[in-house]
This record gives sequence, structure tokens and C-alpha cells, in this order.
Amino acid sequence: MPRELLLARTLVELADSLVDSFDVVELLTVLADRCIEVVDVAAAGLMLANPAGELRVLASSSEAMRILELFEKQADEGPCVDCYRSGRPIVNVKLDGAGTRWPRFAPKAIEAGFRSVHALPMRLRGQTIGALNMFQVDADETSDTDVAAAQALADVATIAILAHRSAADAQALNEQLTEALKTRIVIEQAKGIVSERAGLVMDRAFDRLRRHARNHNLRLTDVASAISTKALAVDSLDP
Amino acid sequence: MGRVRPVSGGRRDRILTTLADGGDGEITAMRLGEVSKRVTGLTGAGIMLMSGDLPVGSMGTTGDVSTLIEDLQYTLGEGPCVDVYRLDRPVIEPDLAKPTTPRWPAFTEPAVGAGIRAIFGFPMTVGAVRLGALDLWGDAPGPLSDDQHADALVMADIAAEAVLAMQAQGSAGVLAAELEKGSNFQYVVQQAAGMVSAQLEVSVAQALVRLRARAFADRRLVAEVAADVVARRLRFDDRDE
Repeated sequence: MPRELLLARTLVELADSLVDSFDVVELLTVLADRCIEVVDVAAAGLMLANPAGELRVLASSSEAMRILELFEKQADEGPCVDCYRSGRPIVNVKLDGAGTRWPRFAPKAIEAGFRSVHALPMRLRGQTIGALNMFQVDADETSDTDVAAAQALADVATIAILAHRSAADAQALNEQLTEALKTRIVIEQAKGIVSERAGLVMDRAFDRLRRHARNHNLRLTDVASAISTKALAVDSLDP
Repeated sequence: MGRVRPVSGGRRDRILTTLADGGDGEITAMRLGEVSKRVTGLTGAGIMLMSGDLPVGSMGTTGDVSTLIEDLQYTLGEGPCVDVYRLDRPVIEPDLAKPTTPRWPAFTEPAVGAGIRAIFGFPMTVGAVRLGALDLWGDAPGPLSDDQHADALVMADIAAEAVLAMQAQGSAGVLAAELEKGSNFQYVVQQAAGMVSAQLEVSVAQALVRLRARAFADRRLVAEVAADVVARRLRFDDRDE
């Protein structure tokens, strides 16, 4: 499918899921997945700033530990931090030459198998609330049109995060960002429980939670909460 | 004695620095209360620990009035902390004597009588684990500024992490190092807590405490212990590795 068509289809799909009460982590996970297809990158993640101004992973195209860790390592250094602080896109940065700029992050990213990186700002009314982070396994230049397509996805992500309630002021926005990040922690705890009980690695545990939520038309966060509080047994999850 | 060293400028680091400075570097409940009061510039602060919708005890209150706030809520079972816990979001009352929506009928009168004109509660949580609330109060009515509000949110997070670590009897040094790293936000710690809760048939909150206790006993960071659990190199039940 041509990229333009894929992007249009993705935007419609996401707009459609914004109508009902939706799960922010689930929606952004879909968005990260589509990002890989539309922009042709190997991994994509959405990072959100907490009220302290620190970036946390909210959703990723891969739940593999090495990928999640790579996003996590950027709490205080890396393309996402630079993008978040400046509010400007960071595109086509070759990791080979980035050792001085990001002494801790660059070697980690290379070790994880990546050659170049991008970070695009998630902006709301002039304020940056996070970043869309993308990794490539090659060092090919990503075109301006690809970057524009990815920025469109980052903008949808921003709308999705804030769509729950109108974040009329800075305090409501801060509370909402805190809540979105809390959601992700609940999911990680539930992944651990499922992983232990069902003998699955973390990314498979995530798939299982996600599939159950989808099959039963439940919010991923609610399924994770139910697992965490033992209101739902791991055995009762769809296989 | 561990001192908190900021890794980069920011709200969290500024608060951690305040937490470490002035005292002897030891992070106690009292210190958490004092710093909450200082960073927000409000009149007083206190921490209410909650369990199953009921207040179970207070800590770190900065004075008699702050203690009264927690005592009233403990006795009456109503007040901002109780609502914070139940609703799992901040509760803001900028004018307790003339509230837009009257609430807490039993709590309000004695509280206003003690000079409390504004009261704010912030949830202390780590994921699905709800520990209680951070209470802040002012002797004059008025809303929080955006900065005060953001400081209070971050302070409540730091207090939640500190309380978890205290339950695991981590020393001040270990605690300081972990707070600096924001270890409760590292996903591997949360995943490991889930696994340990399944291994031991305990709540995720108890599992987090067990992880910290183990880290303390082994003189390691909780994230390192957690990584061993997730990699299945370490179990907490009898089925030994």
C-alpha cells in the first residue's frame, strides 16, 4: 500500500477510536505500530513528560525489553530530551557520530542494533508535552515527506492523550499527563503477573493482555488493573 | 550517609536537593512533610497512609494544625485525603470556609475553626498501588499556582517512593540513591513486582516492599534485583533458582 494511503487509513482509524471511551496506551501502541509501516523505521515509541519534566515511555512498537530500555534510558539524555527541551524535531541523526552528543545513550542504541534516530515533538498550544521517537537499523536519510507523515502521527498522539478531558489549564494538563503515565505502570505490573503465572516472556504477556482487552471490548488499563488486584485471574485471560 | 545528587536540572531534582539539604541527608517522614511545606510555600503539610478506603495512620505532619487535619480524617473517615484515595486524583479546595461545592460536613467546621482556609490533597501512588495522600493546607484562601501544583504532584510521587522504601527499611543512603534514579518508574521494577506478587501470592504493594527489602539486604539497587527477577535468575518463593 502506498504510504499516503496507509497514512490516511491510519488517521481515519485513530480518529474513529477517539470517539468512544478509549484506552490511551492501547491507542498509542497502535499508533506506534502504524508509524513503523508508514515511515519505514524499525522501532517507534511515544515518550511523555511528567510534571517534573522527565520523559517516560507511554507506548512502544515493541515490548521487547531491549527496546523498552532504550526508550527508558532517555530520561535525562538523548534525542527525545533534546527534542522535548527545544521543541524542535531531531531528524536523521547518525548514532555513529553521536557519541559526544549523547555519551550514554548513543552506545546503548548502537548495541541494540540501530544506526540512526529521530525524535519529533508532541506539541499542544506551543507547549511540548513529549516526543515521538523512531529508530532505524540503517543510516538511510528519511525524506521530508516521511518526517511530515510521522509528525502528523505525533500530532494525533497529542490529541489522543488530551482527548479524555479538556486540559483547559496547566494544572489539568499536568494531572492528565500524570494519569496517562500511571496507566503504563499498572500495565507493567500486570505484565509481570501474567509473565509469572503463564510462563511467558514480557512481550508475550503484553500481547495476551491486549488480545483479551480487544476480544472483550475492554480497556487495556482496566484488564491490567483487574489482573493486578486479582479481580481477574490470569487463567481466565483468552489464550 | 547518602546525599542526593541532582543529575540534571528540573523540578524533581530541585525537590530532592531540598530534601537532602538542611537535614543530615537522612530522609525521614518528618523531612518529607517539612519539604512539602517548603517547596509549595504553604502553611503546613502531612501524609496520610490509607488502606482499603480507610485512613490507617499519619506521618510527617509539620505542626499541631497539620496533625489535627490527619486526626480529624482518621476519626471521621472523611476529608480531602479520603477523597484523594477514593477518587485517585488530586482534590483541591481553595476556600474551605466558603466552598463552591460543600463537602466533608463533619471535617469542615473544626478544620476552619483551627485556621485552615485552603486545603489540597495529592495521591501517593505507584501504578495500581495506592499508598495514601499528601495533604497541604494554607491559612488564607486561594488557589494553587501552576508551579505549586506541579511541585505538589512531584512531591507526592517522591513521598510515595520514600514511604515504600521506608517500609522495606532501606537506609537513608540507599533510599537517596533510589529516589535519584526514580526507580519506581523503571518498568523492570514494576514487572518484577508483578512477578513476585504472583510468586508469593501477595499484593503488588507488598511485592514492591519485598523487592526493596531484598535489594537492601544484598546492598544492591532495586532495579538490579528486579532485572534478575525478570530474567528468571531470581525467585522469591521456595522453588529455588
